[in-house]
Amino acid sequence: MKLVEALEILNRPVPEDSRTLNVALACGFTPLHLETFLAAELREAAPTKRSTITTGRFDDLVGNIERAREGDADVVLVVVEWPDVDARLGLRRLGGWSIENLADVVESAGKSLARLSSEVAETADLKPLVCSLPTLPLPPAFVQSTYEAGMHELGLRALVTAVARDLAGHPRIRVVGAQRLDAASPADGRHDPKSEIATGFPYTRDHASALAAMLVRLVVAQPPKKGLITDLDDTLWQGIVGEVGAENVSWSDESGAHVHALYQQFLGSLASAGVLIGGASKNEPSVVDEVFARADILLDQEVIFPLEVHWEAKSASVARILDVWNVAADSVVFVDDNPMEVAQVQSVFPEIEGVVFTGGDPRALLDSFGRLRDLFGKHATNEEDALRARSIRTSVGFRRSAEARGHSMNDFLRDVLGEIEFSWRGEYDARALELINKTNQFNLNGRRLDDGAFVKALGEPGAFLMTAAYKDKFGPLGRTAAVLGRAADGVVHVDHWVMSCRAFSRRIEHHCLSALFDRFDASSVVVAYAPTNRNRPLQDFLAAIRDDPAEGEIAIARDAFAGRTPELVHAVVEVNHD
Amino acid sequence: MTDRTAALQRCFAATFPGLAEEAIPTASVDSVAEWDSLTSLTLVALLEEEFDVEISELDLPELRSYEDVREYLQRENRLPA
Repeated sequence: MKLVEALEILNRPVPEDSRTLNVALACGFTPLHLETFLAAELREAAPTKRSTITTGRFDDLVGNIERAREGDADVVLVVVEWPDVDARLGLRRLGGWSIENLADVVESAGKSLARLSSEVAETADLKPLVCSLPTLPLPPAFVQSTYEAGMHELGLRALVTAVARDLAGHPRIRVVGAQRLDAASPADGRHDPKSEIATGFPYTRDHASALAAMLVRLVVAQPPKKGLITDLDDTLWQGIVGEVGAENVSWSDESGAHVHALYQQFLGSLASAGVLIGGASKNEPSVVDEVFARADILLDQEVIFPLEVHWEAKSASVARILDVWNVAADSVVFVDDNPMEVAQVQSVFPEIEGVVFTGGDPRALLDSFGRLRDLFGKHATNEEDALRARSIRTSVGFRRSAEARGHSMNDFLRDVLGEIEFSWRGEYDARALELINKTNQFNLNGRRLDDGAFVKALGEPGAFLMTAAYKDKFGPLGRTAAVLGRAADGVVHVDHWVMSCRAFSRRIEHHCLSALFDRFDASSVVVAYAPTNRNRPLQDFLAAIRDDPAEGEIAIARDAFAGRTPELVHAVVEVNHD
Repeated sequence: MTDRTAALQRCFAATFPGLAEEAIPTASVDSVAEWDSLTSLTLVALLEEEFDVEISELDLPELRSYEDVREYLQRENRLPA
């Protein structure tokens, strides 16, 4: 982005009633154009949101972080450069480049970084935080030529890497990815010595723009996609299995098909991180089964569910897979080597992300892997990620079993030996936030929460966060529901209530409401309801327990709920985390 | 108006969003309240970006109006006379 474009973006009007995002930018240099680019990128990423950026004092990074922690910022951006680690590593402080000083520079850098790390972690305990560690070249202060890395230079870099590793392990700290920044902003185009000396702003405009884009990408993160549907022939493997036979399709290096092995490995990696993998192929099922029976295949057929193999249009396969997964098309990526198949699927599901598999071009393939990582990337995995694919199979088994049985739902639910574990906590819970931001169908109002708003909500008087984990004889579903609200004087206010579609038809929602009444000895539960294009299951639930589910704050009386709720048969366990 | 003159006006409009289009040719440090040291740096950065020119800090004090900037860019052969 050019500076003039950034300023023009900022000069556009913002809707008056838009919410404000307060951002604290903590850096030790003059923020100048970085602040402008940040504001513009924030506006582009969230056009209806007003953002304010507060900055701090020159040459006082630690103090600026402390002030950001104590202020009213929703999110804190910490941008570290070498002079913050040791002033002798900048251009504005003189007298520090003699050889006898170098060991001391490294030693003092270790102490500075330890303090910095501690301040950053303490701040992240209160507010979400994005951190960029030194991006500029070190000054030519070392003994070695610039072709050689000496122990002092490497010592400094090792210290920074160690701090970055520690910070990245914090659940609420996002560290800017150096590799991605390298691609967006080449190292030799980052530093503006003239500007650093004259104004204290050390970045070229191009680098400030690239860094701002990276920081904002981590502040206003898009929810990750949930599933990937892959073609098989000339995608998962090389060759058309119906023509050459199961024994002659390939993913081996000897036949020049190594990229297909990489793709299988990549899908396995996505699956292990909780991404649902489905298959769509125009083939005879028996020959596909033969390929998956081969001992040398890298991707276990168990990973791909459902696997749609027939001669119908790919869009028909996609429709069935979406139905089994119970996710919307805009949460899914479709991969096929044939651009026409991708177009056919997108003609029926315009919201689906289409990726053409480019097996003949390893460079393009790696780029598309990177793009897929961006679409599915998440800060960390959790135990639900490991359960997700299995629980989809479980849900299908549950549904088929329920349909097959002739007797009542009450009897069926009793037979499945369900158990719900309600966990109550007043602190940050990444899984609960993930559910709030990924769930569409059983969602009270469709409202999303960023990290800062979530923390703020948890700090409200009387705030509570309840999650529900479910298991039965078909297996565990993990934590599949979350309720965020406030309770006072016998009334419970629910601001967010979501439940994964995998948990439908088990009356977990009824159990949740019952748990709220019991926990707070409440006479009524007031829910902040809003219909959306997608929350029909939630609307149906409210309609079943209430005559008039009007939009807005609606109260559900305990007596009325008790009179309309079906029998609740699952065993209930309560766990308090406070 | 030439493309280059339009680009110069765009720089002023982006730096001083409250400035009416017709007031840009007569804008100066004295007539524009927002024209301070910080907006000067922004304006200079925009000019460097837009006109591919490096403006020395020694030249900054003489850039006190739209007319000063226009003449400066003409001297640097970045704007037609």
